[in-house]
Amino acid sequence: MANVLVELSDSLASAAERAGQSTVMVNARRRIPATGIAFAADLILTADHVVERDDDIHVTLFDGTELGATVGGRDPGSDLAVLRLERAAAQAAEASSTPARIGQFALVLGRPSSEGLEASLGIISAINGPVRTPRGGLLERYLKTDAISYPGFSGGPTVAADGSILGLNTSGFSRGSSITIPVDFAWKTAEALAAHGHIRRGYLGIRSQPVEVAEDQQKTLRREQAMALLIVGVEKDSPAAKGGLMIGDILVGVGGAAVADHDELFAQLTGDMVGRSTPLEILRGGTVTTVAVVIGER
Amino acid sequence: MSNLNGIFTDGMDALAQQVLTSLVVVQQQPGRGLRRFFAGAGAGIIWEEDGLVLTNNHVIGRGSVTVILNDGRSFPAKTIAREADIDLALLEIPAGGLRPLRPAADKPRIGALVFAFGHPFGRRNTVTRGIVSAFAKARTRGGREIPILRTDVALAPGNSGGPMVNVLGELVGINAMIMGGDQSISIPVSVAREFTARVLESRHSARSPQGEPVEGPPGRPTGVI
Repeated sequence: MANVLVELSDSLASAAERAGQSTVMVNARRRIPATGIAFAADLILTADHVVERDDDIHVTLFDGTELGATVGGRDPGSDLAVLRLERAAAQAAEASSTPARIGQFALVLGRPSSEGLEASLGIISAINGPVRTPRGGLLERYLKTDAISYPGFSGGPTVAADGSILGLNTSGFSRGSSITIPVDFAWKTAEALAAHGHIRRGYLGIRSQPVEVAEDQQKTLRREQAMALLIVGVEKDSPAAKGGLMIGDILVGVGGAAVADHDELFAQLTGDMVGRSTPLEILRGGTVTTVAVVIGER
Repeated sequence: MSNLNGIFTDGMDALAQQVLTSLVVVQQQPGRGLRRFFAGAGAGIIWEEDGLVLTNNHVIGRGSVTVILNDGRSFPAKTIAREADIDLALLEIPAGGLRPLRPAADKPRIGALVFAFGHPFGRRNTVTRGIVSAFAKARTRGGREIPILRTDVALAPGNSGGPMVNVLGELVGINAMIMGGDQSISIPVSVAREFTARVLESRHSARSPQGEPVEGPPGRPTGVI
């Protein structure tokens, strides 16, 4: 019977060891170092908030090799940043092929000092989202674990029992507590950051507030839509201004998709829309009109 | 393996029953005056079957110490040696035939399961679980550098002096403190072995040439005192 415990203990230690090979120390601030995940042999994904300077950045690999690094890209909206190593010497992490499940084992790893890898054990406690982040990002999904994220753990991985990465941990969204950005979103962001240096987000230049859509207006729209966005401000020279949007317009749709609130508007203004003329559906003076707006960049 | 949870629970139960026989309560007797109100209790570990008990130095105060075994019998304890530097103390009780914990031969791995046994907040014979989080070093007041073991096992007042064991029930550390609310610190068993070996070595060489102890012979168990 003790065999089950021995097997479990050994497999947890092996999972930590395996993922530990792609878990690096990130020295990019005056305080204690933080952690990062090698996403490619020359690229480290970490939390944006732990990269407090743009130069004199050092990364230490699992075997003690210390390398210089430069900032490849940052996205404060999702609190992710990519560092480019001076040499392609890191061991790339393996992303989990199955999505996280509530109750599954979660090993939280960090490498905040030269003493080596550190770990804490918990389970996946919750899968939440979507949520808008304070710095203008949108997290479709995030994980919570009940493992302890020790100081310096931000930027490090939450690891499944087989040693594959479930996500990247960060305390950047709330003081003292850590959330896990799921690996599929983290990896996609890392690729975009490595390629473009930042995450492009679409931008209109309006201030708006939620408003009810009256029943007869819904009839005009020819669809059921209880809420929309009343434009209460248009920034000078913004894409919205250039397109002819006015205060008093009620924005009901973007690019063919209904928009009922700020979150939905935000979700529609993706990076690939930047520079593209997009039809915006509005209610103006009781009638439905379409205004073409060339989406700007946030 | 469909009943993995059940097998795990049975395994945990067996481990707990095994380790509990080596867990003791270490109780400070209240001192005089105001110190009357500061009597505390911590945990301790049967170190040798002939009555040696290991605990933290900070668990024993200046007054007399009582050790309560897991089977309920209690004994007055004599302090053989104590070192504030490494926060360890070796006690002796007049009891024999006890079940010591076996020290683990090797350092545990990061991520390995470990369990703390003790009496947190006075709740007797409580087990908490976690993994080995990190190996660190601490500099003692005497200037020595000793290894320390960090785990994410929940510890509380009353756990001090108690054992941190691995999945085989072997001793990997002596639970000493919590830092910052969630970093649990244990003195590695290697430090305890070195301490007890030193103490017993000098104790042995203090014996008379015939090999008899200078102190009185350990008595037979006399039950509750």
